[in-house]
Amino acid sequence: MNDSLLLPLAIATPLVCALILLGGKNYWGRAVRAIAFVGFVVPAVVSLWCWYSYAPSTPGGYAFIGRWATGLEGLGITLHLGLNGIALPLFVLAGVVGLAAGLFAIQARAERAYQYLLLLLFMQSGLMGVFASIDVFFFYFFHEMALIPTFIMVGIWGGRDRQYAAMKMTVYLTVGAMLSLAGLIYLYVQSDASSFSLIDLRNELAETPLSASVQKYAFGFLLLGFGILVSLWPFHTWAPLGYGAAPSSAAMLHAGVLKKFGLYGLVQIALPLLPAGPAQWSSILTWLALGNIVVVGLITMTQRDVKQLIGYSSVMHMGYAFLAIATASTLGAGAAVLLMVAHGLTVALLFMLATSLYHRTGTFDMHEMGGLVKKAPVLAAFFVTAMLASIAVPGPGLANFWAEFTVFVAIWQWQPWVLFPTALGVIISAIYGLRAVGRIFFGQPTDAFEKKLAEPVIDLRWAERIPALILFAVLIAIGFWPRSITEGINAALTGGKSPTSEVARSE
Amino acid sequence: MLSPELLALLLLAVPLTSALLIAFFFRRAGTIAQVLSVGAAGAIALIAGHLIFRMGDAAVSVPWLTLGDFSLSLGFLINPLSKVMLGVVAFVGFLIHVFALGYMKGDTSIARFFGCMSFFMFSMLGIVLADNLAMLFIFWELVGVSSYLLIGYYLERPSAVAASNKAFITNRVGDFGFLIGIAWAWMQFKTLNLTEISAQIAADPSLALTGIALLLFCGAVGKSGQMPLHVWLPDAMEGPTPVSALIHAATMVAAGIYLLCRIHFMMTADALNVVLIVGVTTALYAGVCAVTQKDIKKILAYSTVSQLGYMVAAFALGTMYAAKHPEHAGHAALTVGAAAAMFHLTTHAFFKALLFLGAGSIIHGCHHEQNIFKMGGIAKKMPVTFVTFTAGYVALIGFPWVSGFWSKDTILYLAGQVSPVAEKFLLAGALLTAFYMTRLWVTVFWDRPKSDHSDHAHESPMVMLVPLLVLAVLAIVGGANLVYQPPLDALVNSLPHPDAATHHRLLVTSAVIVALGFVGGRLLYGWGAANDRLETSIRPLHALLVGVQRCFDVAYNWYVANVQQRVAELLGFLEHLLISGLVVRGSAAVAGVLGIAAKSLQTGNIHGYVYWFLGGLLAFWFLAFGF
Repeated sequence: MNDSLLLPLAIATPLVCALILLGGKNYWGRAVRAIAFVGFVVPAVVSLWCWYSYAPSTPGGYAFIGRWATGLEGLGITLHLGLNGIALPLFVLAGVVGLAAGLFAIQARAERAYQYLLLLLFMQSGLMGVFASIDVFFFYFFHEMALIPTFIMVGIWGGRDRQYAAMKMTVYLTVGAMLSLAGLIYLYVQSDASSFSLIDLRNELAETPLSASVQKYAFGFLLLGFGILVSLWPFHTWAPLGYGAAPSSAAMLHAGVLKKFGLYGLVQIALPLLPAGPAQWSSILTWLALGNIVVVGLITMTQRDVKQLIGYSSVMHMGYAFLAIATASTLGAGAAVLLMVAHGLTVALLFMLATSLYHRTGTFDMHEMGGLVKKAPVLAAFFVTAMLASIAVPGPGLANFWAEFTVFVAIWQWQPWVLFPTALGVIISAIYGLRAVGRIFFGQPTDAFEKKLAEPVIDLRWAERIPALILFAVLIAIGFWPRSITEGINAALTGGKSPTSEVARSE
Repeated sequence: MLSPELLALLLLAVPLTSALLIAFFFRRAGTIAQVLSVGAAGAIALIAGHLIFRMGDAAVSVPWLTLGDFSLSLGFLINPLSKVMLGVVAFVGFLIHVFALGYMKGDTSIARFFGCMSFFMFSMLGIVLADNLAMLFIFWELVGVSSYLLIGYYLERPSAVAASNKAFITNRVGDFGFLIGIAWAWMQFKTLNLTEISAQIAADPSLALTGIALLLFCGAVGKSGQMPLHVWLPDAMEGPTPVSALIHAATMVAAGIYLLCRIHFMMTADALNVVLIVGVTTALYAGVCAVTQKDIKKILAYSTVSQLGYMVAAFALGTMYAAKHPEHAGHAALTVGAAAAMFHLTTHAFFKALLFLGAGSIIHGCHHEQNIFKMGGIAKKMPVTFVTFTAGYVALIGFPWVSGFWSKDTILYLAGQVSPVAEKFLLAGALLTAFYMTRLWVTVFWDRPKSDHSDHAHESPMVMLVPLLVLAVLAIVGGANLVYQPPLDALVNSLPHPDAATHHRLLVTSAVIVALGFVGGRLLYGWGAANDRLETSIRPLHALLVGVQRCFDVAYNWYVANVQQRVAELLGFLEHLLISGLVVRGSAAVAGVLGIAAKSLQTGNIHGYVYWFLGGLLAFWFLAFGF
């Protein structure tokens, strides 16, 4: 099979499945689930195949390239797909988390399941597209395509405060998307390039770099816009609220994958095209990112709602990624990619298991829990392992550890003092993580909880274990074989004409 | 073909396999889990023996991770130092596994226990074999996890949950420094491989930085329970007693000492001073704490903290000594600092594992009574336990010619040569050791039983007694040269030997100290008492000592409750108020006002719209043409 058809296949399959479901009816029952299953399995298999067979063919490290006319060539827009070393791990992340979220949604049997799965498939198609796009226009287009279903899913299938949460998410994320769009258009207009293709843009800007002030403003727009999308402090309040309310598979896909869009944009587009940008903004970015780590970290410790806790902790971890980007070094950018993937897998795991927890206890409030390990030991083991991975304890979380560790090294090479507040995160995350699992699973249950659990509790079913095991497997694979993605990342960051080397370090 | 690196790989693979098999397949099959785990421990002991005695040194590594200009190789470094540690971990680990067979009998989640024990062995061996700081740190975290899981083994006890959290979080405080130290070390040396760093520093000693050394030492402070991070170790006694023996006495807590020895070349004179002060203070302070404890395991725990302080001090003193006497360094396989610290680590592993297992045997026999003042008369009820425990007791207090005597005297000798102040502190610590151990020994074993539990005490089964006996023999003779076959003899051969006069002076001093401590203990506690005589007769002193013991916990609890938690809650509140309330709702309000204003323009009056249109057109004209 032609390599260039792999990526369209991964994008189109969920879309086609979604369109089939569009004409569906609830009484289709099993057929709905089968169609959705196909829609989630195909992108995952394709992404894993791409990971396995990735062999960069061009100087930018792109593989699986294909280009299709869209009729918008006059505007410089073509459907230009391909993966380089930075896009590949995120493409895999999207495929795998999508599969896990899909399987989890299929087994959960929500009300109006076909509509829910339809939206989820639509989102999945967009996610695969985001990371497969070389064309900046489609990169943005696919993001919107994945984003809009999130709002609907939160608004209709969400939990507590879903209306308010959906509204707030919509406002924030739309503003973030608009700002980044403005930044991208500004960049495109200033570059004099003839197409939106990232490869063309790179070549163009390598020959005639933008002036320092243009770089500064373009980077500023992108940073603010992408920053809001990635919950940069203090623009983060949509995240815990939204994830708290979102149905679990939507939260998995959004927190695990879609949120990485902003960071991905910074690493893939902003850093190489605007090499002089980070230095202009690094001091502000540093303070805001430290806000993510320390302020949000401390707030995480006070959470009672387990889903909010996971939401806040995910906001906190984004601080590491922002700092890594602020270093503007190859190591930092690579560490940010590693962190995105490791964090995406773990946070998806945690959101999923939190929902499994809710199905058994009827509450997200950790103060009402306790001693659950006796009733559901497998759930406890999964959850504790996922939590330890999320706080970067090596083991299943070895990938998370590599990510945080390389971020730390990058920070020390850049501005040593920043590492001291940053590394406080190591302690803060241990405090909230262990307190949470202690409250939920160990010790004595509260009286009310005891009553609630009086009827037999079913331990984690295989239908829930399989998606979790898929996520664990990929996380472990990356942890034990980091070279499988770091070689590509290195090639993408340093190969060709990439300017993101150690420039910022000497400053 | 067997090679050192293959054996090293096997050493990691065997316990990991056992742990994974138990986790995935034998969660409910306690018997199979026992066989697997103890079998794995036995295999480890055999492989380790082969590696130590039949194989040479080795250093291998494979590239693992390259990102930008950062690259990391992982591998094994097998040298005399790691062989000594390997011997201790493998051998003592195996004995404790056997003991646990008896101790954990009848427990409901025995598979989980043995799974975690295997996982611990895997992690600990990783620390021993690692050839670079990053890999060492990874396994460092993993022993932290296994310690967390085993301290919290009795899941339903709130105190066990609190203790396991405290252990992990306190260790993370130390790791905070450790991690920064590793990042800095990378910046400084462009490698994390110990052999390469050592070569670089050998070529240019100015490369060693005090900052890096002290940050790395932070890790050791956390893991080895040095002040001010010692608070987790006494609480860790919530775990089952074999765990206390293996993890919180013999091996894991000694990992900090091993780390220091492993990075000895990175030390600077300033850093060594700090290390020495921390070690000496801990040695004395923990001794003071042990005096007022009533729980047999807590006494031993504080004693462990104190002895770890001795080891840290030994490392600093030995390294200082070697710096003062470069002629001694010669071609010894271990540096003086490493040898002195590791020697005490080894003898301590024997006698403290013995004491904990003995305590376990007593607790097992007394139906889980742990208060020493409710015991009494155990000597008659449990004779084998009594004899073996006594062996551990004499070794710990440094009774002449017993193992602890040799290793402790080496430390005192080095202190006398390098730092007389430290020597006085360490002597005071030794006095305290003799005192509190005598208190424990007479109260537990002599006089009549003080409770039904101890009245009905029974001797433990053979499977528990055999490890006790083996360890008892080692606790007695473990200081003698002939126990250490090459290459382990480096442990004793690398040490400087005092001349005859100094040797006699040391011997007499030690004997006097032991005698004083013993007499003090006997005077106060006679042949056992039903309550703490110190508490009843010298109240103010007892209150003072309890205050000293508790002050760290009180301060930390106060900080956590009144500073950390309050700040966190305040931030949470502010976030709600300012960001969610004022800014977001506020901007929504602004948008709302603007909306009303804009709406008011929508008059529906066609004339109004025409004027607006003309105004807009004019504005556009001005903008476009600028006049």
